[in-house]
Amino acid sequence: MKYLLEPPSFKDAKETTTARLIFFISAGMVVIGIVFDIVAFFTSTVVFQRALIIGAISAPVCLFILWLVHKSKISAAGSLLLGMIWLIITVGAITAGGVSAPIIIGYLFLISLGGLITQKRIGTFFAILSIVSAVAIAIAEMQGVLPPTLQYSPLERAGIYTFFFLLTIILQMVVAENTNHLLLNAKKSESLYKTLLESIPTISYIVSNNGDSATQYVSPQVKRLLGYSQYEFTQDPYLWKKILHPDDKERVLAESIFTFETSQPFQMEYRLLTKEKRIVWVRDEAILVHDEESKPLYWLGVWTDITSRKQAEEEQADLIGVMTKRTIQLQTAAEVSRAITSILDLNVLLPNVVDLIRNHFDYYYVGIFLVDKEKEWAVLSAATGEMGRTMLEKGYRLELSESSMIGWCLSHRTARIALDVGVDAVQFRNPLLPLTRSEMALPLITHGELIGAMTIQSVMPAAFSRVDITALQSLADQVANAIENARLFSERASLINELEVRNAELERFTYTVSHDLRSPLVTIRGFLGYLRQDAVSNDLTRFDKDIGRIASAVDRMQSLLNDLLELSRVGRISSPPEHIPLELIVQETVNLLNVQIDAHRVRLNIHPNLPTVLGDHTRLIEIMQNLISNAVKFMGDQPSPEIEIGAEGSDKDGKAIIFVRDNGIGIDPQYHERIFGLFNRLDPTVEGTGVGLTLVKRIIEVHGGRIWVESQPGAGATFFFTLPVGLEKTES
Amino acid sequence: MIGEPILVMLVEDNVDHAELVIRTLEEHRIANRVRHFLDGQSALDYLFQRGEFLNRTDNIRPHVILLDLRLPRVDGIDVLKAIKEDDNLKTIPVVVLTTSEAEKDVAKAYYNHANSYLVKPVGFDEFKRLMDDLGFYWLSWNTHPDPRD
Repeated sequence: MKYLLEPPSFKDAKETTTARLIFFISAGMVVIGIVFDIVAFFTSTVVFQRALIIGAISAPVCLFILWLVHKSKISAAGSLLLGMIWLIITVGAITAGGVSAPIIIGYLFLISLGGLITQKRIGTFFAILSIVSAVAIAIAEMQGVLPPTLQYSPLERAGIYTFFFLLTIILQMVVAENTNHLLLNAKKSESLYKTLLESIPTISYIVSNNGDSATQYVSPQVKRLLGYSQYEFTQDPYLWKKILHPDDKERVLAESIFTFETSQPFQMEYRLLTKEKRIVWVRDEAILVHDEESKPLYWLGVWTDITSRKQAEEEQADLIGVMTKRTIQLQTAAEVSRAITSILDLNVLLPNVVDLIRNHFDYYYVGIFLVDKEKEWAVLSAATGEMGRTMLEKGYRLELSESSMIGWCLSHRTARIALDVGVDAVQFRNPLLPLTRSEMALPLITHGELIGAMTIQSVMPAAFSRVDITALQSLADQVANAIENARLFSERASLINELEVRNAELERFTYTVSHDLRSPLVTIRGFLGYLRQDAVSNDLTRFDKDIGRIASAVDRMQSLLNDLLELSRVGRISSPPEHIPLELIVQETVNLLNVQIDAHRVRLNIHPNLPTVLGDHTRLIEIMQNLISNAVKFMGDQPSPEIEIGAEGSDKDGKAIIFVRDNGIGIDPQYHERIFGLFNRLDPTVEGTGVGLTLVKRIIEVHGGRIWVESQPGAGATFFFTLPVGLEKTES
Repeated sequence: MIGEPILVMLVEDNVDHAELVIRTLEEHRIANRVRHFLDGQSALDYLFQRGEFLNRTDNIRPHVILLDLRLPRVDGIDVLKAIKEDDNLKTIPVVVLTTSEAEKDVAKAYYNHANSYLVKPVGFDEFKRLMDDLGFYWLSWNTHPDPRD
């Protein structure tokens, strides 16, 4: 029972309003009815009677209505209430004699109520019904069908009127209260939403749906993000378009037109320029809002500041970029290592290395320079591409000065980067590599020794960072070590070869020596034995001769040993080479052999154009001595013996060619090689140890030259040999 | 043929060594004649009756050849080869008499059909004995093929 008496409230405001109205009217009716009855009891029997009947009927119905309201049967309750009231008024009017009955005024109340507590149709129905009923009653009254009009005193009338007035007041009050209530809720709601909207970090906006997307509202947070205030946005409804980032403007406007045409929700990420011209990234999401009849009203959207996210994304992309680069670098380093350890031939290794590096990093050009023996020039030893090939063919090289990246790098033994070669000193430009914008030069250092440098060039400016230097330097170090290894390997091979040659020489030497040294010993021992015999047999002539043989054998052994010693010493030149004019050597030698030359009446023809050579003084004398002495010895029957000494240009290595020509007995071509062999003597009758020419050959070879002979039997012999050219002294 | 004058051909570039050999052989009257050649070229010219020995009537075929290996101009081995490859001359016993005892020389000499290889001993007594034995063996004991066959 108590529950029935509580005013209803439902979730739906409209429902609540209607329900509350019905409730209060019903409740009001009951209450006022009771009051009215009490008053009527004391003032008018007639009214009282009637009121009592009405009350008796309406009270339970009202309770029933209340119950219906609580059960949410609002329209039923409303219709029932209206119906009940109409019935009461109509029957009351009929029984009271017609339209002049004060209860007719109830129709007014009914009509008002109807509009408020039911749907339009039902309300209209009851309104029309009321009018029709009133007319009907009036007609009936005129027809005299109705019972006679009840007589009400003015007070009675007033009382009935008051009843309805009171009901109307209640109606008013409830309606007013409801309206206020609703308004208050709405206001609360609105302010709640407003606060929400204005305190959340995202910016909300409303934009018109008329194709030009003019700003109608934007939340105040916009000032914090963009520097422009709310006011500025509404003042210029197209401000938002003006602050779009120029790179994004086109696509944003295109998308917004598309969205307007299709009414699909809008979603984009783009940049805006703040009042201070900073760039921010926003995520824009908007939907089209419709009214109850699905008519589009406006676009409601949200801007979220995603600048930091975008920044993070960019940083991540950069990081990935860097890491990718690192990975490639490590990969290349590994590949280069692989190549390095498997290739020992320098001619294959260097081109491979530059190509590997160029291809893996997609550089414009990579080249390797190696320092020459005199440490004056850096010679290009490997280079990529067509321009590389061209430069290698030309024998391109750079000085170890500061006029080039490589030169600087080599002088200072450190890496160097030029980030924009066009700007960073014109001197670093190479006309064969026009597209280079940045360049890096890395030193190649192995075991503390600087053997060269590597240049890496790119068409991008600022292509190299400190990180690149570290990675590529370790690569360069590996390359340097590999080069060293390759060199050592080939050095080793040639050393082994030399060793083998020397060994073979030694073997031959030992063999020859043992043989030829033994020979005199045989003679000595042999004739010593005969000496005894000669003494016993008293043969003095033989005795003398035999002693002579022994003596000469001993001499021969001695000179043999001397020459051999000389030969072994030739290999080691203790004093540094001097620049000596050959003319002086010849003069000295001629002086030494004076006696021999005169004895054989040999004529000397010494050319004036003898060059200055670089060599050891003593050894050079030995050369000339042996050659001139041989020439004298092998004159044979030549009536006018002549020896010619001169120079004949230079050979392809730049060494001077010198000759000693005689017109003696000559040498058969088949012996031209053998005469230089140890102890090979063509004519044993001629004095000599067979070491002379071998000695000469050895000396010349030690000086870096070579010797050969041109001769025919009976037509003399010309010995040609080459020696390194020395510097002419301006004054001796 | 005992009693017939034996010709020994000595090819030796060292005159002192040649003297030793000749004296010893003469002493023991083993050989009546020793012809000494100083180098391989003249030795071959004599044997093949060419060069300076062309049209000479006293080119007597030797009964044995004593050959030193180290000769100027034409090497001892080449002389050996030339002799042993010639149908007429290959029957003459060639005794290599040299200072070298190197294995490769010995091998080379035998490979080229040397009949014997003797190393000149350094001692005088041994040398004499060698010559004696040499003489006895090759000129007394050994049966020579008839040059006329």
